[in-house]
Formats: sequence, C-alpha cells, structure tokens
Amino acid sequence: MAGPEDKAIRVRDVMTRQVYTVSPTDTAQSVARLMKETGVGALPVEVPGVGTILGIVTDRDILTSVVAQGLSTSTAVFEFMTVAAESCEEGDSILLAAQKLHDLRIRQLVVVDEKRHAAGIIALADVIRVSPELGGLVLDGMSRHEPVNQQLEGMSPCLA
Amino acid sequence: MSGLTQDRLWSEAVILEAPNRVLRVQSTRDAFLCLKNHWPLPDGDGSARSEALAACDRVIEGQDEPDVARAAFIRAAEEARFAVHSWTGNEGA
Repeated sequence: MAGPEDKAIRVRDVMTRQVYTVSPTDTAQSVARLMKETGVGALPVEVPGVGTILGIVTDRDILTSVVAQGLSTSTAVFEFMTVAAESCEEGDSILLAAQKLHDLRIRQLVVVDEKRHAAGIIALADVIRVSPELGGLVLDGMSRHEPVNQQLEGMSPCLA
Repeated sequence: MSGLTQDRLWSEAVILEAPNRVLRVQSTRDAFLCLKNHWPLPDGDGSARSEALAACDRVIEGQDEPDVARAAFIRAAEEARFAVHSWTGNEGA
C-alpha cells in the first residue's frame, strides 16, 4: 500500500496527543458543546474514573443518530456512540493505522496505551499530512466501497 | 484549553429551562462551557456567572469538589432567570 519510507513512520510521530474524552453518560448536547469549544469532531468515550476506552462519538453520530431520529438532545452518549474495539498503539506503523482506517472506513482511530487508556488520536488527515500517497489510497478505497454491510460486528462506520 | 481534557462529574444533573431552550448539565466542564459560550447574560465582575466560572476552573484543576461548581452554577442560572430543576437543589453552596 505504501513505500518503505512510510513504514518507518510510527503512529506516535503523527498522532494528536491532546485528547478530550467524554463519558458514556454525557449527553448529545454536552458533547456538542465540547466539540464546538475544541474544534474536534470525534471524541473517545471512556469509563469515568477508570479511563478505559469504550468507543468513539462523532459529530456525525449526533446528526444522524440523535437529531435526524428526533431524539432528545439529552440522549446519553452510550445510546448512540460507536462501540469500537478497534484502536491502535503508539508504536504501530502508520501503514497499519491507515490499513485500519481503510478497512473500517473511518477517519479517526483512538490510540491507546497498554492499559487501554487514550494516549492520542490519529486522523486520516494526519496520515495525509505525512504521506499524501498513503492517505490518498485510504480515501480512494473509501469512495470505491459500497455503503457497507460488511463492517465488523459491534462497529459502525464513522465518516465524519 | 488543556484544562478541558479533564472533567469532574456531578452527583446529579441540573436542568435549566428558558423559553424554547433546555440545558442539561451534569459535569463541571460542561457547566464551564455553558457559562462561557451559551449564557444569556454578559460576564461582569462580581456576577454569579463570573463566580461560577471561577468555581468551575478550581474544580477542574482539582482544587475543589465538583458539587461546589454545581452549587455556583445553580446560582448563576438563577441570576440568569433560568427555571432550575434538580432533585437535590443547591447543595454545596
């Protein structure tokens, strides 16, 4: 999927380390307020006080699963979050991260440490920044896929 | 902004009602963002709003307990003439 030079780049080299997390009992409106303040469209969901990452919530989830469904803005995050077992680690190559983004058709991947706490977040934009060719392949793969029913169990696509 | 990577949950949510508006707030970080970005009254020295912002800041930094921010938030909401709904009221005041 990419040349040898891409394999030398690790997730830790390109990820964003400042991570804003939310709890499963936060509401759609509180998540939206945090997204507005931080300019971040995808936030990892963690167990409060424990820090284990359960999944991710995106601005698109709020639009499609709350607003479009006519649900209350007080709807709790656990009711519409993407429960994602998938993540990557700081030492992974960006090739591996790009492969996951491609295969899962998502644009952000949570980077976890050995305790499965959030260490950062890597976005497709980060991959494109350091390797336009690799990022382009991921984007190209996304646009060529049919709207999925082959996603992993427990995952829903995050196209935000 | 880095302080917003932390949050301190409240023991109970506070629901604020105004015409055509319902705010549900259950954590210190969210209260801070409501006060900062979504508040009907301007900030001013000595206002309940500015005191609540300061309280939220202290709680997020770990210098005070979450219910202190909750109590300050309720006072600011009353100042802004929101109808305030909570089971336990202004505990921690």
